[in-house]
Amino acid sequence: MWAYLTRRLLLSTLAVFGVLVITFFLSHVIPGDPIAAILGPQAPDHVIEDLRRRWGLDRPIPEQFVRYLSLLARGDLGRSIATNRPVLDDLREFFPATVELATAAILVGVTLGMAVGIVSAVARGRWVDHVVRFVSLIGLSMPVFWLGLIALLVFYFWAGVLPGPGQLDILISRPPRVTGLILVDSVLARDGVALRNALAHMVLPALVLGSHTLVGIARITRASMLEVLGQEYIKAARAKGLAERTVILRHALKNALLPIVTVIGIYYGSLLEGAVLTETVFAWPGLGRYATSAILSQDFAAVMGVTLLIALIFSLANLVVDLLYAALNPRIRYE
Amino acid sequence: MTARAWRGVLWVSLLALVLGSAVGAAGAPRVPNTVLVMGGVISDAVSLDPAQAFEFTSVWAAAQIYDTLVDFNREFNQVVPELATSWTVSADGRTYTFRLRRGVRFHSGNVVDAKAVEFSLQRAMKLNLTPAFILTSFIARPEDVVAVGADTVRVTFKQAMPEILMGSVLANPVSAVVDPALVQRNATPADPWANQWLSFNDAGSGPYKLRAWSKNVKIEFEAFEGYWRGTPRLRRVFYQEMPEPAAAMLALQRGDIDVASDLLPAQYKQLQGQPGIEVKTSPQFTVNYLAMNVGYEPFGKKEVRNAIKWAIDYDALRRIFEDALDPSQTIVPPGMFAHLAERPYRRDVARARALLREAGYERGFRAELIVPVTPPLPDVAAKIKEDLAAVGIEVEVRQLRSADLLGIYRAQRHQLVIQRWGADYPDPDNLARAFASFDARQLAWRNQWDHPVKRTVEQAVGELNRARREALYHEIQRIVLEEGPYAIYGSPLEQNAMRSNVKGLGASPLFAFTNLIDAWKE
Repeated sequence: MWAYLTRRLLLSTLAVFGVLVITFFLSHVIPGDPIAAILGPQAPDHVIEDLRRRWGLDRPIPEQFVRYLSLLARGDLGRSIATNRPVLDDLREFFPATVELATAAILVGVTLGMAVGIVSAVARGRWVDHVVRFVSLIGLSMPVFWLGLIALLVFYFWAGVLPGPGQLDILISRPPRVTGLILVDSVLARDGVALRNALAHMVLPALVLGSHTLVGIARITRASMLEVLGQEYIKAARAKGLAERTVILRHALKNALLPIVTVIGIYYGSLLEGAVLTETVFAWPGLGRYATSAILSQDFAAVMGVTLLIALIFSLANLVVDLLYAALNPRIRYE
Repeated sequence: MTARAWRGVLWVSLLALVLGSAVGAAGAPRVPNTVLVMGGVISDAVSLDPAQAFEFTSVWAAAQIYDTLVDFNREFNQVVPELATSWTVSADGRTYTFRLRRGVRFHSGNVVDAKAVEFSLQRAMKLNLTPAFILTSFIARPEDVVAVGADTVRVTFKQAMPEILMGSVLANPVSAVVDPALVQRNATPADPWANQWLSFNDAGSGPYKLRAWSKNVKIEFEAFEGYWRGTPRLRRVFYQEMPEPAAAMLALQRGDIDVASDLLPAQYKQLQGQPGIEVKTSPQFTVNYLAMNVGYEPFGKKEVRNAIKWAIDYDALRRIFEDALDPSQTIVPPGMFAHLAERPYRRDVARARALLREAGYERGFRAELIVPVTPPLPDVAAKIKEDLAAVGIEVEVRQLRSADLLGIYRAQRHQLVIQRWGADYPDPDNLARAFASFDARQLAWRNQWDHPVKRTVEQAVGELNRARREALYHEIQRIVLEEGPYAIYGSPLEQNAMRSNVKGLGASPLFAFTNLIDAWKE
């Protein structure tokens, strides 16, 4: 187990380094001028050249890469041209908002998705199953951006039961920043008003963002459950006279979990990258919009910082999923 | 996990959703009358240090926090006092001496005096960050700004400065007066001018104090009770990030925000006439244009350039902007001093074809048009492609990110490009220099158009007689109109939608000068 873990960590480190090298060189060789993009069409040439020198962008690319690595070795992710701040500070500021939203979305997706998938599998061929499959097909083909706007229109604008864009109402002060997670910071500050308001603000974006995950998990749960429900040991369990609920939840579901856990890991990793469209519709100050604007303006340090973070998240998510396999299926051994 | 546990998770999730809805319903506040909430895109802001601010939001914010020596009237045709109550100018028009208002204090309580003005302008020049060119283009050395008494400042310019040009430099937020004591207290050996500190903090004397700035979330101001013009009526002002125009529109209609900027033209049209909402439109000192690189052989001929100008359907382009476009065709936009209200070009295919024939291109030619991805510019490019195809010019459109497009444009590697130019300061020199002076290395240079009109640009900038100056700029505009490599298809109109109880707030042609102190809510 420990040898496996060490090997996996080493491989992950290598993979992350590879991603960094590729991203750095690709982002520097594609045409474009980050300084010109940020300063706009009017800044005089000498201002642009001066700023390019200040940011070290006039140096050869390999030299810039070595400089980047030496900074990275000291825990410095560089400075964002667009925000004028250390990238680490930006990530600390924007990533927690994404973590909260992604976690809420994955909770919605996992709980409802698995429930729907199980019901659909158990009721295979019946009207419930047809409805679930039809709705999930629609759900998968519905653009999240459009869904977000419709959700705002219905629940915020027409019904007035949920708040509009943003993490908090404008007149409610954000609790002092400790973790950056607004819900956790509200609890730490014992600020009930902020907590309730932040929770309310999270409902719509979490539902919208979680909807695709929900549909995906429901489909994989249904398929996996159907496969397991056809196995001999399920028939045996039923023959023993076990309650149907016990057969499905304890015997079938446990064995159907492996592929489900795999997709949950992948979905969560993707959600943590930041969901730029959901963040845009709901004015959510997360990583997705930061990353997109960094890419569009070729803000190299920010692009590298986001890439590093995402690569680490995916490596970690994959590792956790692999380790969970053993917990779920004792026949899996790590060597 | 047991069946019981699964059921528990399911019920907790459902309960959370229901509770969430309930607290949401209770939490929606009304915006009080002393508070203004604006919604739009604020994520462009990089630094609120007036010596660095150059983006829309940061310049606007700096204009609320800081005062300058002078300001402009609403029409932008006259310089009016701000920190300076009066000024005199030397006979050669190069040296201005300002008498300061007495009793003005910074938000910190420190006194605004001549030394603070000297310190601030010298600091901006020595820091030499992005907007500093507005100062350094006209003032040779930092030492040319001198405090000659406790309430007297002398500024010596490189050249004779017509008053409106002096105002263009000294009313610009880059010339804002900062609190020297605060700056010095927050300076470090690595950052002797406290640029980092000032990027996120307030050292001003303006009508509003910076209360908080959460990047990509909101900027929050609080009225300065000791302001020399009296305390602003709007006690707190929020500018909230709302990147999705549809969401901002819903928030405005619900009354959760008072002002929505950055909506789409079609949305402003939709909001017009709705009860409780007012859409305000005002001219902008901005020019939308299609540029032709004279270095690309066909565009070297004036007839070809003019054929393109005659081929374009300007009315159709205006419709793309939902009519939020003044149909001006000259480089000095409407409303600015010396604007030439001539609009000769309209779609005339026969005339365009005749000009192409005259130039030896009766069979047309091919050209590439680069355009930013920003809506609605790709639609503009598509329409121009269609118009030019009708006269035999086959255009290939390439949509590019700004980073790519500007790199190509600055390197003179384009053939046709769609861009806009927003004035940096409200003087025709800014536009004449950009569009007509090859030596300024701006638009004329990028499009490789080196025309003797550049000498008229140099002559006009220092002309102290207002009428003669106006005549010179008319001449420049006429030459660019008739010979230049630009098909100017209008000046965008700034639109803002607001609740109808918001009064006194309107966009100005140069957004930076929009002053919240004139606004209130009924």
